[in-house]
Amino acid sequence: MASLREMQGAFAAALRDPSAVCAVMPADNLSIYRNNTAITFRSSLEGTFPVVRRRVGDDYFRQLGAQYRARFPSRSGDLHWIGRDFPAFLLEHLHGTEYVWLADLARLEWAREQASIARIEPAVATDVLGRFAPAQLERLVFTLQPSLSLVASDFPVFTVWAGNQAENAPPVNQSLPGECGMVRARIDALEVRSLEPRLFSYLSALSAGAPLVDAIGTAGLDQAGLVNALGFVFTEGLVCSVQETGT
Amino acid sequence: MPRLEPRGDLRPIPACAGIGFRAVHQQALAAERPAIGWIEAHTENYFHDGGPAARGLERVRANYPLSLHGVGLGLGSAEGVDRGHLAKVKRAIVRFEPALVSEHACWGHAGGEVFNGLLPLPYTDEAVELLARQVGEAQDFLGIRLLIENVSAYVTFEHSHLQEWEFLAAVAGISGCGLLLDVNNVYVSSQNLGLDALAFIDGLPPDRVGEIHVAGHARNGSVLIDDHGSQVSEAVWQLYRHAVSRFGALPTLIEWDTNIPALGTLVAESRRADLILGEVRGLAA
Repeated sequence: MASLREMQGAFAAALRDPSAVCAVMPADNLSIYRNNTAITFRSSLEGTFPVVRRRVGDDYFRQLGAQYRARFPSRSGDLHWIGRDFPAFLLEHLHGTEYVWLADLARLEWAREQASIARIEPAVATDVLGRFAPAQLERLVFTLQPSLSLVASDFPVFTVWAGNQAENAPPVNQSLPGECGMVRARIDALEVRSLEPRLFSYLSALSAGAPLVDAIGTAGLDQAGLVNALGFVFTEGLVCSVQETGT
Repeated sequence: MPRLEPRGDLRPIPACAGIGFRAVHQQALAAERPAIGWIEAHTENYFHDGGPAARGLERVRANYPLSLHGVGLGLGSAEGVDRGHLAKVKRAIVRFEPALVSEHACWGHAGGEVFNGLLPLPYTDEAVELLARQVGEAQDFLGIRLLIENVSAYVTFEHSHLQEWEFLAAVAGISGCGLLLDVNNVYVSSQNLGLDALAFIDGLPPDRVGEIHVAGHARNGSVLIDDHGSQVSEAVWQLYRHAVSRFGALPTLIEWDTNIPALGTLVAESRRADLILGEVRGLAA
């Protein structure tokens, strides 16, 4: 008699390939399991990438989903992770086509999915800076909200995302300039917003753990820009803690 | 077996009807506080540190006893149990402190692929031994006694030589786990595979059954599909009455996971289960 491992291997093969032989009765009913597992995968993908689905349409999204599943099958019993490789898949699949921007849109939607499960830490207020001597300020590093993701694209993906929050929205002009921005969780909502490029560079540097002086330099901020950028991270509640480099 | 240290206000699951916790009902549950006995949540939806789902469960958890019901461990998988997944189940248990924790008598992954479905096992001695061992290991790791649920089935393995109820009883006997009897699954499997539903229920050891599920199903041609998307059928309520007569009053969940209705509809279904439980208690008194 076949071992349990062999039986499950045959069943798994029959889920992937209707022509594979599996010793079950009635064999036709294997299609129910095949359909159920495919629907679960596709529904999870649709839930994570609703704007990509709206832009490509249901039929093509189903085709993409099936090809993605063949290439990147689920590796977790937690459905949340099913879409993790979808942006990379789209980048490869659509490389060299006029639709490659969909990979960046998927990256934005995956960032939103990640934000949806992230902790929201208590934010610190600007007066935390008062604990440090003026000479220490430029060496400060900020810990930002765990839910914060920064997304940059050569395409107007934030405009596309915002313009496709309902079904049947008109297409966005893809000749618009590229955009960058952030995704983060608030207590009762997820926030997706585009950012001015220097503010984006500054946030990216801070997020990577750069000291304040390096973040300012990277972003090319002048005094007024620095005041605005510092004000932004504190008033938006993005800063969870502040410490001096090396402490 | 080590046990989680219960919080002082941890409330056991009462022997009455409860409903599945769905995100769309969060606000209504908090605002209306309907008189339902308990709630059950899918464990995998609460693996993560943050998000509205986890915050919602924490709020509702303060008002109702909680059961966590897993769908992703695949305890009967011949390639073993994902230890990372098991660790996340434990985190959820520690965080939400459920009074009951359940999973399924099924497998879910092979060849590195997870199918995210409740796949049927062959009812063989090897499968009994493997499932019982992996349930036992999971119980030891989690520090809690699991309830293991029978799954709905659309096929049977040619190699099976045990009846499903014999299989479940053997797994419970070896591992020490309890059983979660899904009456709708018994009905769906019996109709699809020509099993005797009453013999199934009568064949389970009464001292092992700790919870019952009832749900709706759909018909697709000659096949019943366990879709949890409608009211409980009369046939399933009849089978439920038989189960309660045999096992006594037990926590009973109204499962409704697709085409989710208004909270009031779920509460009305739970009243029907409570009525049957009340009748059986009356007969026993």
